Amino acid sequence: MGKLISVLLVDDESDYTQPMAFWLKSKGYDVFSVTNGQDAITFIKETPPDIVFLDINMPIMDGPTTLRKIREFNADIPIIIISAYIDDPRAKGITSYGISGVFYKGSDFNEGLTLIEAVLRTHKNLKNK
Amino acid sequence: MSPSIIIMFVVAAAISVTIALILGNLARQQGLARLKLEEEERRRHEDEEASLLQQNKSLGENVEEVLSQLTDSDKLSRQASQRIVDIFSREVKKHIEDNTKQVAKHYEMILEEKTKDQEIVWKKYNSALVEKKQTDAVIRSVAEGLVVVGPDGKVLMMNPAAEKLLGVSKKEKVGKPINEDLREEQLITLTKKNNETGGKEIEFASESDETKRILRASSAVIENENGETVGMVSVLSDITRQKELERMKTGFVASVSHELRTPLIAIDKSLQLILSKTTGPLSETQEQFLTIAERNLKRLSRLIDDLLDMSKLEAGKMTLNRQPAAMAKIITDSVFAMDNWAKSKSVTIAQNIDEHMPDVNVDADRVTQILNNLIGNAIKFTPAQGTITVSAKTKKPGEIEVSVRDTGIGISAENLVKVFDKFYQVGERVSTDISGTGLGLSIVKELVELHGGKIWVDSEKGQGAIFTFILPV
Repeated sequence: MGKLISVLLVDDESDYTQPMAFWLKSKGYDVFSVTNGQDAITFIKETPPDIVFLDINMPIMDGPTTLRKIREFNADIPIIIISAYIDDPRAKGITSYGISGVFYKGSDFNEGLTLIEAVLRTHKNLKNK
Repeated sequence: MSPSIIIMFVVAAAISVTIALILGNLARQQGLARLKLEEEERRRHEDEEASLLQQNKSLGENVEEVLSQLTDSDKLSRQASQRIVDIFSREVKKHIEDNTKQVAKHYEMILEEKTKDQEIVWKKYNSALVEKKQTDAVIRSVAEGLVVVGPDGKVLMMNPAAEKLLGVSKKEKVGKPINEDLREEQLITLTKKNNETGGKEIEFASESDETKRILRASSAVIENENGETVGMVSVLSDITRQKELERMKTGFVASVSHELRTPLIAIDKSLQLILSKTTGPLSETQEQFLTIAERNLKRLSRLIDDLLDMSKLEAGKMTLNRQPAAMAKIITDSVFAMDNWAKSKSVTIAQNIDEHMPDVNVDADRVTQILNNLIGNAIKFTPAQGTITVSAKTKKPGEIEVSVRDTGIGISAENLVKVFDKFYQVGERVSTDISGTGLGLSIVKELVELHGGKIWVDSEKGQGAIFTFILPV
């Protein structure tokens, strides 16, 4: 059995990340959670995950700043922005920093799973080319 | 000169002429009298007594009588002359007295009438003056600014409130063109008739306090009885505070809705996890109650979404993500999504869609929201065994018409005009699941209009309802 796909959830709202982490684990993913951007940067520098879910509104360091800082040392890692609001205008403003998608927190977890699979597939294809 | 005085003179003149003629005649008669002396003498004696008895006879009769008694005796002649003069004097005096009395009476009457007229005029003048004072006081004391502009654009009057609102003084403005010293937008509002019923909003920084103030100006053209424009009256209200409150309210609703969403999602996801049995097996009862919790949570989410959408629409912050899309597919997807709910109520959803419609440039998510709302409403108000028909066709080139018809309870004429109002909810329900914020249809209307389309409803009580909207391609 190969190495599990690792997912990093970056969100101060642990009431949301807990069920999501549980769900992803049940689907065979290796899941880690941090609650702010600074911790996320430290985590990614030490053990880069396969994919990152990044919340926009967070204390200490918010999503857009975190994204910019991650891109300074890692241009490759797939990052999916998560938001509690459909059509979050802040999500649109940060697409230029290279994001793989936007995931609405209210969506079904299965949609999140589909998104992860699609992003990783695209990412793999790009790497292989 | 009054006509009675003229008559008096004419009478006096006529009498004088008569006297002259009589005197002339008298002389001639004296000559003739001598010839008839004996006969006259005899007749005189016969008639003398009778003539004395006839003093009260008419002037003509008197004169005739006196003349008939004439003899060539000097004494008699003098007597006769004297008698005639006396009679005439008496008659003239009597006439003059009568006329004077008549004139005096007439004059008194006229005077009385004039006095009455004058009193009426004075009363009317006084009441007009009181009314004017009252009107002036009302105009002065109304909180709204009032500006009256003549047809030449010159200010006719303005009240203290208007002076304060516009930051100008009446003395400076009255008689001068309204556009002097006033900024462009104020000028436009105050000199052009506005067709909008609510009036126009004008925003300007006032000189004194440097704060931005928003005025609402409602103007009406003043016409005279011939329909000619004689000026324009503008009512100015300071709505700065109102606008500020509206802005705060919209901001509050938006932030509260946002804040509510986060905990709702956490509850929803936890429930979803348990109900998917990822966390372990559930008893039938556990599953039943968790399903109720989940269903009501979704309902709460929809209400919050509605509030958030409304606050966005009100603030003009709703943006559309327009992409070419096939209307037939959007409708089919929406019907598919709503079908389970309809079936659970034994209501059938039928489709009547023209397959050859061109693609429309719309925000598919928002059009889906419009359809879900309309179909959802139709399901709510249609009793079991009813049918909902969703139709779509090209109305005319460049326009697609979509309608949702139901066989439900219908809407009475008085409620028809209100269905698109915010927070309006139809009173009578066919089941307990009809509830919401009352924002659904007003959001639908706003979304259709944001797409450049329009929406309307036709219905009769008990005859079902048909909601139709048109979207430009």
